[in-house]
Amino acid sequence: MITAKNFDFDAIVVGSGITGGWAAKELTEKGLKVLVLERGRDLQHGTGYLGEHAPSWKMPFNGKSDRKVVEEEFPVQSKVYAFRTANRHFWNNDKQNPYAMDEGTPFEWYRGGVVGGRSLMWGRQTYRWSEDDFKANARDGHGIPWPVGYEDIAPWYSYVEKFIGVNGRKEGLPQLPDGEFQKPMPWFAIEETVRDRLKKNAPELTLTNARTAILTEDLPGRSACHYCGPCENGCSTGSYFSSQSSTLPAARATRNLTIRPNSVVERLEYDETGKRISKVHVIDSETLKRHEFSARVVFLCASTIGSAQLLLNSTSAAFPNGLGNSSGMLGRNLMDHFLGLGSVGIFMEHQDSYYYGNRPTGLYIPRFRNLPGQDEDPGFVRGYGYQTMVNTSNWTGSFNQKGFGAGLKDNLRKPPAGWMFVAAGFGECLPNPNNRVYLSKKKDRYGIPQVAFEFSWGENEKAMARDVHAQAKRIMDAAGAAFSMSLGDPETLSVPGSGIHEMGTARMGNDPTQSVVNKYNQAHDVPNLFITDGSFMSSSSCVNPSLTYMAFTARACDYAVKQMQAGTI
Amino acid sequence: MNRREFLQCAAVLLGSAGITPATFALTPEQMTYLAAADDYVKQPAKLFSVGQRAIVAAAAEIIIPRTDTPGAIDAGVPHFIELMVQDWLNDEERAIFLNGLSDLETRIPQEFGKSYDQLAQEQQLAVLEGLEAAASDSPWYVQGNVRRAFISDAPFICQLKELTIWGFFTSEAGVKQVLRYNPMPMKFDGHYPRNGEDSAWAPFAFFS
Repeated sequence: MITAKNFDFDAIVVGSGITGGWAAKELTEKGLKVLVLERGRDLQHGTGYLGEHAPSWKMPFNGKSDRKVVEEEFPVQSKVYAFRTANRHFWNNDKQNPYAMDEGTPFEWYRGGVVGGRSLMWGRQTYRWSEDDFKANARDGHGIPWPVGYEDIAPWYSYVEKFIGVNGRKEGLPQLPDGEFQKPMPWFAIEETVRDRLKKNAPELTLTNARTAILTEDLPGRSACHYCGPCENGCSTGSYFSSQSSTLPAARATRNLTIRPNSVVERLEYDETGKRISKVHVIDSETLKRHEFSARVVFLCASTIGSAQLLLNSTSAAFPNGLGNSSGMLGRNLMDHFLGLGSVGIFMEHQDSYYYGNRPTGLYIPRFRNLPGQDEDPGFVRGYGYQTMVNTSNWTGSFNQKGFGAGLKDNLRKPPAGWMFVAAGFGECLPNPNNRVYLSKKKDRYGIPQVAFEFSWGENEKAMARDVHAQAKRIMDAAGAAFSMSLGDPETLSVPGSGIHEMGTARMGNDPTQSVVNKYNQAHDVPNLFITDGSFMSSSSCVNPSLTYMAFTARACDYAVKQMQAGTI
Repeated sequence: MNRREFLQCAAVLLGSAGITPATFALTPEQMTYLAAADDYVKQPAKLFSVGQRAIVAAAAEIIIPRTDTPGAIDAGVPHFIELMVQDWLNDEERAIFLNGLSDLETRIPQEFGKSYDQLAQEQQLAVLEGLEAAASDSPWYVQGNVRRAFISDAPFICQLKELTIWGFFTSEAGVKQVLRYNPMPMKFDGHYPRNGEDSAWAPFAFFS
């Protein structure tokens, strides 16, 4: 048992989102007294999900968004698909907590505003990186080599998957390793037809279940999905994984956890003599009073942007450019997946088939470009995958038609004939030191410098985008769509940040002059600082990143506690 | 947890309305479970005159009439329209709506000798069709122009149709008796049979 001597806590975790929850669970279960500092308001699992299962006629304006409130207080957050009246209170209030949007280049920063962070509203897509993803930097020279390989992280993937609950189908693909899956969710008839045709006409493609952190089988304290549909309104049965449903309850059960909401971490104080973080300085967002806390070890899980902001703002004589920034890489190599390109196919088959229940996920076409041993000259390196979904249309898609009376009512009441199958690409983004988050001269209401962004897509992303566009058309043809239409303009990539997969601002590497953290997510410069949110990512793969953040967090906790036991931290 | 247990659990949660965590920066209606709130159409409106209310109700019923299922008036749509014009439309949009409404209010008695709501249904329909024909170049009618909150310069007839249709298909009667509604399906079946006359499921989230 590790005991705190002269410390308030054994460990402080900054942030309670998807990685903060994991750090809290792992460290408390290993016996540490842990303080979780959360910038956002308190929220209780279940009772805090104020819009869960609310029917439209109970909602203000029958579910139409409150435009005045949204324009004034949520101008950024309201752009994201998952933002709505039912869950507005989960999101960052842009008016109260702004960033410097009129500086640098456009970047959309989506943030949570409550305990649980974005784990409450995340897309729940859960994919392992492949062996090749970890080797790509070393092979093609972009970014710096990963000091970790698939074999190092695979056991941690399994460990995390078993706890969070992932439904999926094993496919045996090297580019998308199988995991510990619960039974997959069933398919629409049209999806089965598309799969069969792709098998015949484009056998190099695989159409599989989107691997999703939603239960199809009960886990302790959590029920299998009831298919109500809008997960991101919150789920009191804990059917999808969030810090709120899963990791924080586990941490609480140890009695080693203290969560402090409304706690904005202003800076980390560095003690030059001890070469470690000595204090965490907090401003209470309710009282505006300042507090300080100490611990043997600090885990930064405040998000890729939030953690960079905090470290850049934690300057000292030893670290004038930000804590742990002797490499100069802090805030740099910011990445996001580009999205919005793909194709929509209309199919006239299965007119006698409809659906029952709202399946809260889709299917996935794993990467098929630039796999080892193929694609000699595609014009770009790395690759992309497609998320697919069946669009179940209703009156909201056709209310603006001409006509009146019983005929109009009947048109609007019925589902349209035919099916709409959408494939939307998610492309890998290369690390580039010029893409960065930095501190503006503008301050927020606490006097903390706001962040601003400089980000532009590179030639590789642009070339890849054209291929995402072209291949999506080919896929719809191979799938036998009666009609297909491209999504987006391949010459205009998505607004950076809108993929909500921001990563890379404190990259991992063996070389302390090139990277911020070592292979265990420990800051090269500050032994009692671990950074385990998306900041550590040295490349981006093309798959949704949260599972990888969680696996590295659990592994870092294991390492940190062993080091504490050995007395080296 | 089986379905019955789940519904019990949900009922307990929904029944505990009125929790007011002191730190929530929420509107009063969000301080309670939305699912346990009063219906939105029970809120008071005081924008229209009695005569205007009669016109809006008649026009809404022409757009979505009672058939073998409820119509706009049954579903409370006229009051929904008044609430939305009063509280949700911005100044520009509200001015367009009120101008359109007062045009009906003054023009129809001049042309027909009685108010719009007193006209025969065929005449009421013809008046709306006349407005639609005059507005037919509006971008409101462009196919697929639906993923937006509202078109601020849309003509009155388009506003009226949009508010009527939204109000109707999000009302309890529209959702439960005209569309199909099952908030707790407990399974997904992608081969569920479709009969040509079946209604669509009520959507659970809106782009708005």
